[in-house]
Amino acid sequence: MSNYAIETRNLKIAYGKKEVIKGVNFKIPEKIVFALMGPSGCGKSTLLRSFNRLLDLNKDARVSGEALLFGQNIYGENVDVMSVRREIGMVFQYPNPFPHLTIYENIAIGLRLNKIVQGREELDSRIKWALEKASLLDEVEDRLDDYPSALSGGQKQRLVIARVLAMKPKVLLLDEPTANVDPVGTKNIENLLMELKKEYTIVLVTHEPAQASRISDYVGFLYLGELVESGPTARIFENPKHELTDRYVRGILA
Amino acid sequence: MGEILVGKIKELKSDVLDMGKLAVTMLKDAVEALKSQNTQLAETVLDRKTEIARMDEAIEEKALRMIALYHPVSRDMRTIAAALKMITYLTRIGRYAKDIAKTAVLLANEPHLSKLVEIPYMADKVVGMIDDALTAFENEELAPLENFAERDDEIDALYYSIFRESITYMMEDAKNITKCIHYIIIARYLERCGDHACKIAEKVHYMVTGEHIEIK
Repeated sequence: MSNYAIETRNLKIAYGKKEVIKGVNFKIPEKIVFALMGPSGCGKSTLLRSFNRLLDLNKDARVSGEALLFGQNIYGENVDVMSVRREIGMVFQYPNPFPHLTIYENIAIGLRLNKIVQGREELDSRIKWALEKASLLDEVEDRLDDYPSALSGGQKQRLVIARVLAMKPKVLLLDEPTANVDPVGTKNIENLLMELKKEYTIVLVTHEPAQASRISDYVGFLYLGELVESGPTARIFENPKHELTDRYVRGILA
Repeated sequence: MGEILVGKIKELKSDVLDMGKLAVTMLKDAVEALKSQNTQLAETVLDRKTEIARMDEAIEEKALRMIALYHPVSRDMRTIAAALKMITYLTRIGRYAKDIAKTAVLLANEPHLSKLVEIPYMADKVVGMIDDALTAFENEELAPLENFAERDDEIDALYYSIFRESITYMMEDAKNITKCIHYIIIARYLERCGDHACKIAEKVHYMVTGEHIEIK
């Protein structure tokens, strides 16, 4: 068993002939927040999506090299994509709870489809557990039968996180989870991530260096498909080694 | 936003350099006033004391506002951090200049002993270190700081030699005591100014490289 939740070895990703990730190597230790930052179009989201094989859905996408989840190459032969995705939960930029399902059903659906829990009682307790973990239970406990449209943007995003946590993944991937959330909602989600990293490995994509500096332990700076620099967050923001990183965190990268 | 901060930092650096120049001229003039027994010049040093205190406050305020508004990181943060520490050291140097100028007024009426022992020479050395530390800050380069540890040792040695020489004069003639004690105190001030130059050099080193060092 590897000590790293995620490790990549010369990972390359291309859409058709265009290479968007150009041989990336890094290691993400367990139970930390790892932030992937970089300007728009640098390949952050593509890289993140490769970690739970979401790119399989895109016929043009070609992946080479290795992406290891707890030591196992998820692009190896005989890998069960569904089991990979169960271990790695994904949260997207725009909060996407199922609008036609109640708050309760939003979380229940995955558990039912995957036959993860038995009976109503177990389902109830797992849903409450997930809402609690996502720091949302207090706010929705008495209205689990409401629809997500009644929730604020930040609450919707935490509902999505609860839906992911209910599946008990080991790794959480978040793609700019606060991009469409107001400052209070952002603060709540950031606090939640700080809490969740005690139990989960969190990989966060952000185009906002300030967010990376606030909540991550390690940070990787991706630029034009290459990992320019990665390391402990405090070091990267105090004393980056690479000129490009320096310019990016200071906000003067053209 | 980044470009705005870059412009503000240029301004901040130039403010710190102005303050540095003021501290250096105060120190030079104070020693010159002592040497040439020019009380008028000494008085101008005393007058400049309020100006350096005002600069200290204004730069601190400006730097803190930059932190609040622009959340600087990396080299920007290190430059502001260096500036915030440097202004304290420069204020101290200005205050020692003021103290030397006060003594210059006291000692203006009687000829000095042995051409003021080695005080003017020691002051030149100290001023040279402050100047070099400021140049390193201005150009963001380490070369002017290269042999600061040795130069500081030389300052310490000069202090000790002034101390011993002054004791000899005091033993020769008790009438020399007042003057010689002032010489020793001034040498001590200059030695402190040399230490402040080293502290400034340490902060400039941090600004340029991101690494903390200690100059001994």
